[in-house]
Amino acid sequence: MEWDWEFTWNRVLPAMLEALPVTIQATVFSFVLAVVVGLPLMLLRKSSIRLVSVVVGEFIEFVRGTPLLVQIFFLFFVLPEFGITLPPLLTGILAIGLYNAALCSEVFRAGFDAVPKGQWEAATALNLSPRRTLTAIIIPQSLPPIVPALGNYLIVIFKETPLLSFVAVAEIMHVAKGIGVETYRFTEAITIAGILFLILSLIAAALVGIVERYVIRKVYH
Amino acid sequence: MAPKITFDNVTKRYGDLTVLDGLNLEIEEGEVVSIIGPSGSGKTTVLRVLMTLEGIQEGVISLDGEPFTHVRKGDGFVPAKPAHIRKLRTKIGMVFQSFNLFPHMTTLQNCIEAPVQSLGLRKDEAVERARELLGMVGMAEKEDHYPSQLSGGQQQRVAIARALAMRPEILLFDEPTSALDPEMVGEVLSVIRTLAAEHSYTMLLVTHQMGFAREVSDRILFFESGKFVEQGHPDTFFSNPQHSRTKEFLAKVLEAN
Amino acid sequence: MSASVARIAIVSALLAFVAGMVFATFSELRVFLPALLNGAVVTLQVSALSIVVFIVASVLAGIGRTSGFWPLRWLCAIYVEIFRGTSLLVQLFWLFFVLPEFGIVLSPLFAGILAIGLNYGAYGAEIVRGALGSVPKGQIEAGVALNIPKGKRMVRIILPQAVLLMLPGMGNQTIELIKSTALVSAVTLVDITYASVLQNNIHYRTIEIFSITMLLYYILSQLVRFGVAALEAKASRFRALEF
Repeated sequence: MEWDWEFTWNRVLPAMLEALPVTIQATVFSFVLAVVVGLPLMLLRKSSIRLVSVVVGEFIEFVRGTPLLVQIFFLFFVLPEFGITLPPLLTGILAIGLYNAALCSEVFRAGFDAVPKGQWEAATALNLSPRRTLTAIIIPQSLPPIVPALGNYLIVIFKETPLLSFVAVAEIMHVAKGIGVETYRFTEAITIAGILFLILSLIAAALVGIVERYVIRKVYH
Repeated sequence: MAPKITFDNVTKRYGDLTVLDGLNLEIEEGEVVSIIGPSGSGKTTVLRVLMTLEGIQEGVISLDGEPFTHVRKGDGFVPAKPAHIRKLRTKIGMVFQSFNLFPHMTTLQNCIEAPVQSLGLRKDEAVERARELLGMVGMAEKEDHYPSQLSGGQQQRVAIARALAMRPEILLFDEPTSALDPEMVGEVLSVIRTLAAEHSYTMLLVTHQMGFAREVSDRILFFESGKFVEQGHPDTFFSNPQHSRTKEFLAKVLEAN
Repeated sequence: MSASVARIAIVSALLAFVAGMVFATFSELRVFLPALLNGAVVTLQVSALSIVVFIVASVLAGIGRTSGFWPLRWLCAIYVEIFRGTSLLVQLFWLFFVLPEFGIVLSPLFAGILAIGLNYGAYGAEIVRGALGSVPKGQIEAGVALNIPKGKRMVRIILPQAVLLMLPGMGNQTIELIKSTALVSAVTLVDITYASVLQNNIHYRTIEIFSITMLLYYILSQLVRFGVAALEAKASRFRALEF
């Protein structure tokens, strides 16, 4: 078995680069969805209305306890039954986003619980409304410590995008496998795909590090 | 005229532990009262239930004769709804042992947050009021600093200004100097002294600073085992305690000094 | 135990009720349920074998990372970086599609458990490493003072104490591992997930099939959670006092 460089340059790399935007889109939009839904989800779980907090809590546990792949299939096959037909990429983003929203809600919860009790008491002593207490005092303090953990999810989500190949989304893994099936040469395609993931992981990790440092500088003066 | 603060048979329990035991208390408007007693006796809890940081199991707390923690219903009382409490709670301000300044806001922002959000003041009005108060506590030049950039004594003075910005009628001080290094205690006590002498706030202090308590208070209350064991005017209280427990406590305190 | 059982019971009841109400097809369960349960057997097989690889890899790599012998340290670090930095699916495909081109043909099952075990082993290695580092230094010093050789020190003194510390993390990874067995459907193993897709294509009872599929995984993950909690309770028996 010999590595075919020409094949790599002419067939594999161009195809990978074409698939790259799809992977990046899937990653970024899923991440945004996860963060944007995760925070309200955490707040709902902390609701003083017993019914809400229990239902949301169990929902989160259920989402966390079932494989993402199955959830992708679930949305992919079930949504059309309700008349909602979305392009596979969108369905995938929805699935990955909501799954990680459930996971991120735990991260938000950790940050929230870490805010010192004295802050709540000061807000009460100053007669601030519960809503204002949350939005101006508690939540702003809960976010900076959890930025690293949240950023980590960007990388995790990135590595989950290959699951979308199961529903025929033209991301990196799907394209790589496709080349292999078509040309009977898997080595170059899959190895390059692997290296690409490695490089992108490192870039994403570096980006997260930059955001971390910026947040720390800005918030801790 | 009704007393400013009334505790009517107030009981508070944590599980099996009774911290406040059928407490009765009347504090007149403008009075400065110091509560002293052994550590862990629950003197702080007296302030905390008044500030509604914690609930009570029995009894009623009233402000200006009007029930605060409860509302009248028929012959008795039922726990008040949050809206009722919020309406009256604005009369009370509290200064905490650990300052509890908002770390993500500047000194000035700390002091205008509640007046703007809770009292509905316009921002410029709130800023003006805040600046005046910060000047009064000697922290005017630090208005753009963050709490992490201030010393303990400075933070506590800002905390006092923050509480005053709400124009409360009642001020609660929960061991305001206990968390401070000795050299900063004086600057905070000086502010409290000024408040007691030159203003008409009703003040409730929980403190270990006996000398200070003696100096500024109109009345001293000795608290132990859930009850007020003895009370008196500073002049007679320290020199001639009546109750044996009071004598024991004061003796220990004097020994330590 | 009762909490997990209650959870499973309630969720099952709810799902069954909802599915039943909407589609009134309880009797139809017989049509596809056996296939799903057969898939569950495969899932359990793959999970169990992967967990063995996972534990072995985690412990070896975790200890290897702290070794004084720098080639070993290096090797383990590379292993961890590569397997954490690439996707499980990539690793699976590499083992199943690429190795044959080098003359090494692995069965789907073998490729699956190797990929999953090594992938989670990389995460486990970090957990093991962290736990080993959290054992109080005094323990090592006592071992040295008692002249116990390094190898025995690790195995008989440090590792047992580290086990309690690593249980939560390893437990979580185990649950993730079990969920990830769903990926072996990509290499033709008929696990629960593969079975559910097949059954769906045949019978189109989409909501029931996938609901039950998720329920099966959920039951598995709750069982693992309970198991880990029981292990934690047992392992912390001797920790009556914490200083």
